[in-house]
Amino acid sequence: MPQPDRRRFLTSAVLGGSAVAGATALGSLAPEAAFAAAPKIKLDPGALDPNFAEGRITGISGSLLKASGSDRTLHRIHITDGTSIWKLHPTTFDQIKVGDGFYARGVRLPDGSLAADAIWVNIVNLDASIAAIETARLHLDHNGKRVIGHVVGGRTAAVYGSAPAVADLTRLQVGRHVKVIGAWRPDTNEVDIATVYSGA
Amino acid sequence: MVEWPASVQPLFVGATLLWSGGVKCAGASARRAAQRSALRSLVGEARAPIAHRLVGAAELALAAALLLPPVYAGEAVAAAVLATGFLAYLAYARVVAPDSSCGCMSARPMPVTWRGFARAALILAAALLGTRAGPWWDAATGHPWAAGTTLLGEAAALVALSPEADRRWLYPLRRLRVRLRHPLADRSFDMPLESSLQQLLGSTAYRQVSGLLRSGLRETWDEEDVRVLCYTAEYEGRLATAVFAVPLRHYRPEEIRVALVDESAESTLLVLDGA
Amino acid sequence: MGCSNSSSPAYGEMSWFCCGSSWGPCGSAGGGACGTCNSGSHQCAWPNTSDACFNITRPDQCGEGLARRTCGHVFYVTSVCSGKCVSVSIADCGPDTNSFCGERSCCGSTCYTNRIIDLTPSAYSAIADLSTGLSPARIDS
Repeated sequence: MPQPDRRRFLTSAVLGGSAVAGATALGSLAPEAAFAAAPKIKLDPGALDPNFAEGRITGISGSLLKASGSDRTLHRIHITDGTSIWKLHPTTFDQIKVGDGFYARGVRLPDGSLAADAIWVNIVNLDASIAAIETARLHLDHNGKRVIGHVVGGRTAAVYGSAPAVADLTRLQVGRHVKVIGAWRPDTNEVDIATVYSGA
Repeated sequence: MVEWPASVQPLFVGATLLWSGGVKCAGASARRAAQRSALRSLVGEARAPIAHRLVGAAELALAAALLLPPVYAGEAVAAAVLATGFLAYLAYARVVAPDSSCGCMSARPMPVTWRGFARAALILAAALLGTRAGPWWDAATGHPWAAGTTLLGEAAALVALSPEADRRWLYPLRRLRVRLRHPLADRSFDMPLESSLQQLLGSTAYRQVSGLLRSGLRETWDEEDVRVLCYTAEYEGRLATAVFAVPLRHYRPEEIRVALVDESAESTLLVLDGA
Repeated sequence: MGCSNSSSPAYGEMSWFCCGSSWGPCGSAGGGACGTCNSGSHQCAWPNTSDACFNITRPDQCGEGLARRTCGHVFYVTSVCSGKCVSVSIADCGPDTNSFCGERSCCGSTCYTNRIIDLTPSAYSAIADLSTGLSPARIDS
């Protein structure tokens, strides 16, 4: 189905037609039942998770990613239509480049490859303090190293305390501790900021 | 004849060691500073706080000797030896424990950077110059303006080379610049995706199907007053797309709806509202 | 014990951190305080693994009376948002709770305060989306 038609179909599916009052009419999907039914991850604590992979992408062949783990393990990762791809924001397969870092979760297949349910490309989670603020970028001190955080128009959001995320970054202050979720620019000390969490 | 620039150096070095030793011995968080410092790998975790305090005590003793009469050349020599030790410690920290804190002049975590090396070199240079010192009070009375200016210049250099002092002068200056120039001002009123996700995660609709979701957020687009968010789900043994409709202009998680759709068959399997 | 069934659970914010061999700004993270930490394993950082650790993180300054748990201790961490649960073993000291006293994360009307646990990416991604930096969680021992 062409993309505009597909989106129209999905939109009408969720907005059109009558909905079931889930919590009452669909007992099996009531919140408490859904939580109880939520999969318990069966894996010895501390053990390597076979359904997880991380590393740097070394090659792209069709919908297959070849990658080298940080521990030098070689990975083959299948990307399907059902795989979510995050690279600063939800994006498409063509945005993945050789050299990108990644974390991926999915199902390990018998041939040793991973069928990815989700892949997060270049994602970083930094606890840092703001050392300086310049036009469209933050200078961050992270573990004693300077990281440049780029503000991306229309993408970067700020969360102040427990308030809903906003696009307004003017309440960020030099000297404050922040948590930054962002996309690393490979082989640099720079990240594009997705969300910056700051105290109220 | 005693050179007055040399004679004021014990004042500068003594005051610096007073600051540094005071933080190590009397600071409320001295123990934390020791645990974070490279002393932890140098002398062991258990001995780090003791070693930290001993260094502080040595600094305080030397500071007292430098600041109080009589004046001996050996005091400045001892200060030079201590400054050389600082440089060696910083080099050790940089090579062996690069993620450790300096633990030098503040309990706050401070990485070892070029500024720390430059500061230790400044103290070493002052201490070496101080080996030719006469009584500092003679220099202060004989050349009050020159001596005062020299000390102020050295103090300014020390502060500029001390990341521990940034919060007192550099950060306020930077905050002022931000207030004047507004570098992050943005007139956009778009609802960030993160805001829609927060709303979604707090909704009944999401909780009802969260156990079925397999992927992260796969795709999103805006449709008039709603933002559509798509995930991959597994429902009754087959793959489906979970399509959430999140209000775009209001925070109303109770209005969020979800549909489970089989895209290959172009059929809607289930639609739930958040009621 | 297991997921959401202990008599004295801890409630607070969870986040994720990288350790062991890694890439990008995480590259120098190392094996953590226990020497065994690895981003691909189901592990966590806990703020009270030793006296030295506690002196750095000081959760008590945020009013958190977190019990002393040492390397290898197993927690069951349940995401409030998804209801999913993962078991993790302690491999590092952290997060630095007292740097973020009073910080709060919500999922709908359920809000928990103070950062009390960090999970490895493999553990966090099993119960939440990595693109969410902070999330409320229940921790059972």
